[in-house]
Amino acid sequence: MSDALVIEAVRKTVTVDCVVEEAFRVFTADAISWWPTETHSLYEGKVREIVFEEREGGEVYELSSDGEKGHWATVVAWEPPDRIVLAWNVANADALATEVEVRFTADGDGTRVDLEHRGWEALAEDGAEKRANYDTGWDHVLGFYERRLG
Amino acid sequence: MVANSPLDALGDPTRRQVFELLQEGPRSVGELAAELPVSRPAVSQHLRVLESAGLVTHRRQGTRHLYELDGSGVSELRAWVDGFWDEALARFKAAADTKGEAS
Repeated sequence: MSDALVIEAVRKTVTVDCVVEEAFRVFTADAISWWPTETHSLYEGKVREIVFEEREGGEVYELSSDGEKGHWATVVAWEPPDRIVLAWNVANADALATEVEVRFTADGDGTRVDLEHRGWEALAEDGAEKRANYDTGWDHVLGFYERRLG
Repeated sequence: MVANSPLDALGDPTRRQVFELLQEGPRSVGELAAELPVSRPAVSQHLRVLESAGLVTHRRQGTRHLYELDGSGVSELRAWVDGFWDEALARFKAAADTKGEAS
């Protein structure tokens, strides 16, 4: 298809001052300690926990202080401590998803974390706008992760 | 927990605001988010809960998804409140009658 829509992936890299295992653990199991849930969540200001079900096919979701669940993603690949891939469709597990891949690589005494958010074409006409939001959004969110592991 | 009863769904202040905005007429997620202090994903989440409680429904208009109040769900809610009120009035009448007999 010559007229196929192609939207470039969002790519972000941060370097944190800890070993790969710890960088992976904090990103996933301890996301509640750094993710800016006040602004970047479904129950803004009321998020009690962020859960990564640690297996392929598992769900990533937030829990509100009222016990309500807000879907974030489905785990496509779970390869601790090197890599995760998520089918990302916040708020609606049945909706078309984009894909978020996060890689953790040893870099000297620290860890380099590469995030790639791709597959915007799946969202058709909404893809470009959402990509723009996430392009700045991931900078903001990963900034909190970087500072958490300062 | 999933708030699938209308009253549970309306227990959340943000959801009440969404519900109130939809009383004015159908709106898209983006339009609702522009009028509320929450993000689009948060609005989507609350719409899903309102939808599962039968209070809101959505339809496609061209390329847009519009959300609107679900008349049948809102009628059920109203019937519940009316039933509650009928019951209260019946009890009041019974109490008043009893008191009348006693005096």
